[in-house]
Amino acid sequence: MTAGVSRWASIDASLRWSALAFGCALLLHADRLPLWCIGAVLALVAWRLASGTGRIAAPGTWIRNGIAIALLLAVGAYFGGVSGLAAGTALLAVMGALKLLETHTPRDHMVMIAVTLFLTAAACLDRQDLWRVPLYVGQIWLTCATLGVVATPAVPLARREAFRLAGRTLVFALPVALVAFVLFPRVQGQLWALPGAGSAITGLSNEMSPGAIGQLSESNEPAFRVRFAGTSPTPGELYWRGPVLHDFDGYTWRRDETRLRRAPLDYTGPAYTYRVTLEPHQQRWLLALDTPFGSPQPDIDFTADYQLLADRAVTQPISYEARSSTATRAREPLDAPARSQALRLPPGRNLRSIALARDMRSRAPDDARFVGDVLGLFGKGGFVYSLTPPKLDLNSVDDFLFNTRVGFCGHYASAFVTLMRAAGIPARIVTGYQGGEWNPLGGYLIVRQSDAHAWAEVWLTERGGWNRVDPTGMVAPDRLTRGFLGGLADAGARLGAASRDLGWAQRALLGWDAVNTWWKNRVIEFDLGSQLAMLGRLGFEDPGVEVLRILLLVGLLLWLGWIGLQFSRSRAAMPRTDALGQSYRRLCQRLERAGAPRRAAHQGPLAYRDAIAAFDPALGAQVAPLLEAYSALRFGAVAEAGEVEALRRAVVRLHPLRTRH
Amino acid sequence: MPLVLQRRRLYILPTRSGLGFAVLVVGMLVAGLNYGNSLALLAAFVLGGFAIVAMNACHRNLLGLGIDAMQANPAFAGDCADLSLELSNGGREPRCGLAVSVAGARAMLPRVESCARGRLHLAVPTQKRGVLALDRVRLESVFPFGLFRCWTWVHAPLELVVFPRPLGTRPPPAAPGENSRGAPSRSLGGDEWRDLRPFRAGDSPRQVAWKAYARGQPLLVKEYGGGVREALHLRLDAAAGDEPESALCQMSRWIVDAEARGARYRVSLPAQEFAENRGAQHQRRCLEALARMP
Repeated sequence: MTAGVSRWASIDASLRWSALAFGCALLLHADRLPLWCIGAVLALVAWRLASGTGRIAAPGTWIRNGIAIALLLAVGAYFGGVSGLAAGTALLAVMGALKLLETHTPRDHMVMIAVTLFLTAAACLDRQDLWRVPLYVGQIWLTCATLGVVATPAVPLARREAFRLAGRTLVFALPVALVAFVLFPRVQGQLWALPGAGSAITGLSNEMSPGAIGQLSESNEPAFRVRFAGTSPTPGELYWRGPVLHDFDGYTWRRDETRLRRAPLDYTGPAYTYRVTLEPHQQRWLLALDTPFGSPQPDIDFTADYQLLADRAVTQPISYEARSSTATRAREPLDAPARSQALRLPPGRNLRSIALARDMRSRAPDDARFVGDVLGLFGKGGFVYSLTPPKLDLNSVDDFLFNTRVGFCGHYASAFVTLMRAAGIPARIVTGYQGGEWNPLGGYLIVRQSDAHAWAEVWLTERGGWNRVDPTGMVAPDRLTRGFLGGLADAGARLGAASRDLGWAQRALLGWDAVNTWWKNRVIEFDLGSQLAMLGRLGFEDPGVEVLRILLLVGLLLWLGWIGLQFSRSRAAMPRTDALGQSYRRLCQRLERAGAPRRAAHQGPLAYRDAIAAFDPALGAQVAPLLEAYSALRFGAVAEAGEVEALRRAVVRLHPLRTRH
Repeated sequence: MPLVLQRRRLYILPTRSGLGFAVLVVGMLVAGLNYGNSLALLAAFVLGGFAIVAMNACHRNLLGLGIDAMQANPAFAGDCADLSLELSNGGREPRCGLAVSVAGARAMLPRVESCARGRLHLAVPTQKRGVLALDRVRLESVFPFGLFRCWTWVHAPLELVVFPRPLGTRPPPAAPGENSRGAPSRSLGGDEWRDLRPFRAGDSPRQVAWKAYARGQPLLVKEYGGGVREALHLRLDAAAGDEPESALCQMSRWIVDAEARGARYRVSLPAQEFAENRGAQHQRRCLEALARMP
């Protein structure tokens, strides 16, 4: 143990700090980079540290070049190139480790600091979760302390002092960082786009094969959060529309990209206004309650099948305000293109199901009754709801309806729509989320990935157009109300009762989620719109970017003034009496009170000592060491701060002066 | 001499590391703006503020620093002259990494604690005899963080006397009337104590009998040396060689040798005359006259 410590201490301080800061920055990416990459980089760091102790030789030029080529090829092969954040980070980490191998001069260490800061910035770009913020703060603190150590190798800084110096500087920088964060005008839109992030993100996908959603439903990650303004819908109305799927090849449902005309609607139900805060899912579609009234923002498209579609993939958390109704009536009949889109079935597939549908339709008096019969089939036909259904063959609907009869929402929706289309009723699959968990602490609804759902919409002319049908409800009615705390309509009234019922663990989780939501809404998503809205709340009429610039400038100047003030206070250019002089003056005052005043201002400390000794030997013996120490410190070569402080303490401690009186 | 560095005399500019740091911060800022990434922006702002505070700290590291004394000790040409500075820190914070450079010499004082003083020695290389005017001494620091360099020029009427290098092999001429040649006598100005005499201004402090003084006696000077006191008369024209500089070097050699032997010597230069004497002060005066020869 002590051997390890002394070995560690034998490494050059700059190298120790650089390697530590770099290693910690690498670990910020520990769960993003492949294990071999982390391992290789840490091994190189360890090698450099070991060679720093002088026990192991540093790698020569040829070995270094060999390692460099091997690692660069490995990164290129693994990521299929070097573009993209993950590949770029891996490249940076590898290059940094190779640079560390040949780091000797202060300039090399500065390059390492730059690499470390770039890695930290890459981590910030990658993920902005609240729980990671302390990691980033710690990393920046460590890197700044490292900068302090490596910048002036001739000035040995103890670990504590380096951290104190960097920490104090960062604390002074914090106000201006916050001011600039709030006031620095943001740009709208991107100057350039980051190439695809590469890794698959859980969530809904653009297509659905029964089996695809089964993997997602285990994830408890929040998908989005909703805060209702005014009235809230009932739990049964909480169908969050995502991608609407039309195209079926017998096994997989896909979106149809042909652009059709959006048929006008009458909204017959109550209108709900709400704000959705959506987690990034790397896709374009946005979630909205059942049928939105329209596009909430100019850059969001409102499609023919009433989806909201952003103009680019959602890579950052975003939020938007929408208005929806859960009851609608079509103003005109379904037009031909939409009708054919909603009736298309793959030829030659699922023939038994098609025959079944035609048979059932011929026995039903009308379409609505037929829908009821099919739902009755699901309810009574021995179907089982399961998240781990058996695999299906290429005629997936036949296989499901006649063989396995085990499935989750996707299976039921897929089979239902196939049966509807076979009977000549326009139908489509809607994927999205159903339900949500009410957070009474934050007053909003959390919809999780496990709430992902698929249901059907069928066109029934006599029922006013598109009608939502959820065949899963026939098999697993509790699936639709699971996890939901009471009705939303009176959620406000029940809030107190509901939060009393919560266990402390659940309360803590919900509280943490509320803090996270605040963080996402107020910090992560803080953009130009938020800045202008803030100015509006502050009372600026027609605020613009110029106002932001002027306020930023004012804030910067105020901060500079504050910094100057802080420093001039701590500087105290040349105090009238320094610490040593104060101690001496204090000692003289005490002696004066004890009856032994200094004879004159020019009487030196040693002469004073002699005078006191002559006047009162006991007192003289007591104070002689102090006067001698003062003399040595004041007139000696170089005073150490510690000795000055020791004298000050001794003077303070010198309480009852022994006098003969 | 005691002077305190004032705001007006301090200059500050970013170092190369500082410029690199600025590029890095701007890069983070642009990335943060482009991706609308709040954390990257916040990090860029924190680091930008950090650099500005670091600039203040670097400035403050020198502001108010006291330069209490500066002394240049003479040296023989080719040797390094010792220039010493005494710096004092009257502030509450320690001052670190104080580098002083002058005439090709550079030294650093790692740290001066609060309310303390520190001394710094520079070995100034010398090449030829003469007087080196050290009118501008540069005092600088990149502490802390090395992002900025703060510096000042200390103007001091300081001259560094460079004696001619003691060279040459000619024997020294004896003073007229003395036994010719400075034939080395048995006891060459050595350790042998001869007697005590009252102190005269100019005596070397090393020869003062401090113990006697401590006993309360007046200042006395111990005299060493053999019984026979050598006396030399060193004339520049006698040393004249092929060129004037080598004559000065020869003179320097004679003076140094004579002093080392404890001999008394008189020095005659064209424009100056130093009466027969000995001791460090005398030697120094003579050598300085040589250094200042036109």
